[in-house]
Amino acid sequence: MIVPMIASTPSAFRPPGPLPASPLAPYAGPWNARLAAHLLRRAGFGGSPSDIQTAAGQTMNAAVDALIHFPATDSLPEGPELIDNDEGTPIAVPAPLASPMPDATGTDAATSAIVEARKARQMLRRRQELANVTWWLDRMLVSPAPLQEKMTLYLHGHFATASNQKGIYGTDIVDQNWLLRHYALGNWRDLTHQIARDRAMLKWLDNARNVKAHPNENFARELMELFTLGIGNYTENDVRESARAFTGYTFRRRTGEFFFNAAQHDDGSKTFLGQTGNFNGDDVIDIIFTQPAAPKYFAHRLLEFFVYSDPEPELVDALAATIRKNDFNMAPVMSALFRSNVFYSDRTYRALVKSPIEFAIGSYKLFGFTEVAPQTVGVLNRMGQVPFHPPSVKGWDGGAQWLNTQTILARENFASEITTAAAQGKNFLNAAPPANAGDEAQSLTHTILQGDASPASVADLASYLDGRGTSADGMLSGENFEERMRGAAYLTMAMPAYQLS
Amino acid sequence: MQRSRFLIGSLAGLTVTANATDLFAKALAMPALPNVAPGSADDRVLVVINLQGGNDGLNTVVPHGMPNYYRYRPTLGISPNDVLKIDSTIGLNPQLAPLKAMYDKGQVAIVQGAGYPNPDHSHFRSTEIWQTAEPEHYVSTGWVGRYLDEADLPESNLFNAVALAPVLPAVMVGRRVDVPAIAALRGYGLSSDGNVGERAAFATVVRDDRVPFTSPYLATVATIEDHAQRGSEELPKLIAGYSSQATYPATPLGRSLSLAAQIVGSRLGTRVIYVQHGSFDTHAAQKPTQDRLLHELADAVKAFYDDLAAHGEDKRVLTMTFSEFGRRVAENGSRGTDHGEAAPMFVIGGGIAGGLYGKHPSLDALDNGDATFTTDFRSVYATIVEKWFGRPTTGVLAGSFPTLPILA
Repeated sequence: MIVPMIASTPSAFRPPGPLPASPLAPYAGPWNARLAAHLLRRAGFGGSPSDIQTAAGQTMNAAVDALIHFPATDSLPEGPELIDNDEGTPIAVPAPLASPMPDATGTDAATSAIVEARKARQMLRRRQELANVTWWLDRMLVSPAPLQEKMTLYLHGHFATASNQKGIYGTDIVDQNWLLRHYALGNWRDLTHQIARDRAMLKWLDNARNVKAHPNENFARELMELFTLGIGNYTENDVRESARAFTGYTFRRRTGEFFFNAAQHDDGSKTFLGQTGNFNGDDVIDIIFTQPAAPKYFAHRLLEFFVYSDPEPELVDALAATIRKNDFNMAPVMSALFRSNVFYSDRTYRALVKSPIEFAIGSYKLFGFTEVAPQTVGVLNRMGQVPFHPPSVKGWDGGAQWLNTQTILARENFASEITTAAAQGKNFLNAAPPANAGDEAQSLTHTILQGDASPASVADLASYLDGRGTSADGMLSGENFEERMRGAAYLTMAMPAYQLS
Repeated sequence: MQRSRFLIGSLAGLTVTANATDLFAKALAMPALPNVAPGSADDRVLVVINLQGGNDGLNTVVPHGMPNYYRYRPTLGISPNDVLKIDSTIGLNPQLAPLKAMYDKGQVAIVQGAGYPNPDHSHFRSTEIWQTAEPEHYVSTGWVGRYLDEADLPESNLFNAVALAPVLPAVMVGRRVDVPAIAALRGYGLSSDGNVGERAAFATVVRDDRVPFTSPYLATVATIEDHAQRGSEELPKLIAGYSSQATYPATPLGRSLSLAAQIVGSRLGTRVIYVQHGSFDTHAAQKPTQDRLLHELADAVKAFYDDLAAHGEDKRVLTMTFSEFGRRVAENGSRGTDHGEAAPMFVIGGGIAGGLYGKHPSLDALDNGDATFTTDFRSVYATIVEKWFGRPTTGVLAGSFPTLPILA
């Protein structure tokens, strides 16, 4: 029996007011730095003041074109440093344990040898993990194709797979990451076929163990529930039947390559979503993508990630129609979305909470840093989002889930650290000679927030810059300029607008 | 979807349809914290201990009278001579001696074989199931969060519930009550608060409600930033008057429960405190890891209740443990155990009816190598909501679950 859902998932954060007419028709309104920064935040990871100026100086269409047509990325590192290429073979059991009468006290030499061997392996695995995460964060920061990385991040949350567990080690997750990047704006039906063959996914959702005698339903269920259709668009029987269709989809332990094990495949007849035949997993995926629910499901998830929470059914239907019309080729779909009326409407502007990754990478970009600090992985962990570590196959919920006192403290303390580093480098904080506090406050809120602060807050910032309310350090001057500008930049990043995308 | 349910996720009683300026005025007002009178159902506290990673239930509450236990556990089985016997079948791991002493005083209830139908063997999903109390659906709120929402708590109180964890666990997430997440008191604060000017300016600018844009998240962001700053400043002061009357073990759990006792004894109106302990994910060389963790658990819980009793607070604090799953009945080839199913829960408190509840899972008929659950874990939650907090489970649990006679 299915129990009724209490407190179910719909977001409580749909923007107020009516949906504009022709939401997906091309936007023809004014173009300015504010909207250019909005585009760069949503279709990338934000930008430096000059990135925003460049986009604002183009037409909207040219700015979107520059994102959609990925420039060459040959200059970027080919992948993370390879530290541990052992993808999940069991940790060797030292010889003493093989003795016929093992000592069960747990304190003997054999047990401590296992513990030591595990520690050594775990250390290697952790170092590889750190290299993988840092590699991708750096790529998000400096790639000339930011939308490619943003779509990859979207897909990572959509087909959420976590490494360092379930036998997913070494470069398993990086190989999956390249697959997602390859299909970033490609055909997502094709991507789904490939995901069903991806080694990390085969491990993550146990399909590598899905065999004729004991079908494992894990992948088959999530394929429909979380990847393509959503709950309510299939039955438990469809789960069972499609699990049978995916039996034998596994990988070769030695090479890690996909392998269709015909001996473990159930080649009997299956009835799936109303059709009957001798289906395999690829047939199942093709049938799924003919369901009206499939484009709707992708449309809903895309809108929640790129536009706003809890999108109206009419908007979902409109984007689903675009997806269907383009047969799941995503370049024209995203191109249309980033040029649309709804995308540049007031209801979309600052209507999402920045994810921790957007917050951190956006801050690095703001001040012109070209690599992330090593401690960023720990900082992101405290903020609640580490790449390659989604909390479950459901991915990151986003929205209000990003916000609690501990994660906000982590964000603010990161802002404090990055402004300290920035104040010592060369950037907009110190590019011009000191001006008066009012002008500096105005300028900071324009550069960091595109002016999305109230006059009262700008005045508060000016007061801070002039040292009012503190001991008599005096007004903003050459003496205290670096320290006060750092503090003022930090305070600007503490304003609500900076948490919002 | 009903508009009326569209509440700002983290703040009591404020709907998004309200005027933004009023929201801020309401959210940022700072009335005195309620001083809850002792003795009423309203001042009862629940402490939830999450044993992360899947604790091996069979080596925690040991079925020493079931011959199959030793057959499945040739090296990990705890010798009958070492088991702290409760009866001819059941006993406790010797590392739990302090807990056994509390059991003998009637302060510990053991719910055997807790679990749910069609158990999930993934850490994440099964943790989520225990936290949301929703085995068949993905939901975004936890059962404690929903209880807090239903309990009509004063919205001005920043500490209606507290999660002693680096990230807010799903169990504490509700729609209305904002629960602070606190990894440790040390480091819980704004580094800028040391600077008088930055501190004051921060308090003002985070409340910027006249911004030249609208956003459905604006009030939530402002509220949490404000709560983070004020809460992290106030909490150390509010609990400074409490002096601990027990020696806590120098472990993360010891520190968490010591802080929990301070919060309880300082009477902040806190209803639920979440702490976590682990990791129990013992696929290999299980014994040293589980021994240490169970020892730390029993030591910390004993110190906690000694401390509470010295302050006359032990009868108003109920502690419940859970873990996302038990482990395989048969040990594996690396002296460890893999992910399994049913496992016992402890319910601990000064004023409860201690003893064994439910049936120990059979070791004769296994479900694909796993122990099958005998008590739905939601029965324990229902018992706590109805009998401890005196509230109906409507809006907290989907469906109705029989309560256990642990609480009068």
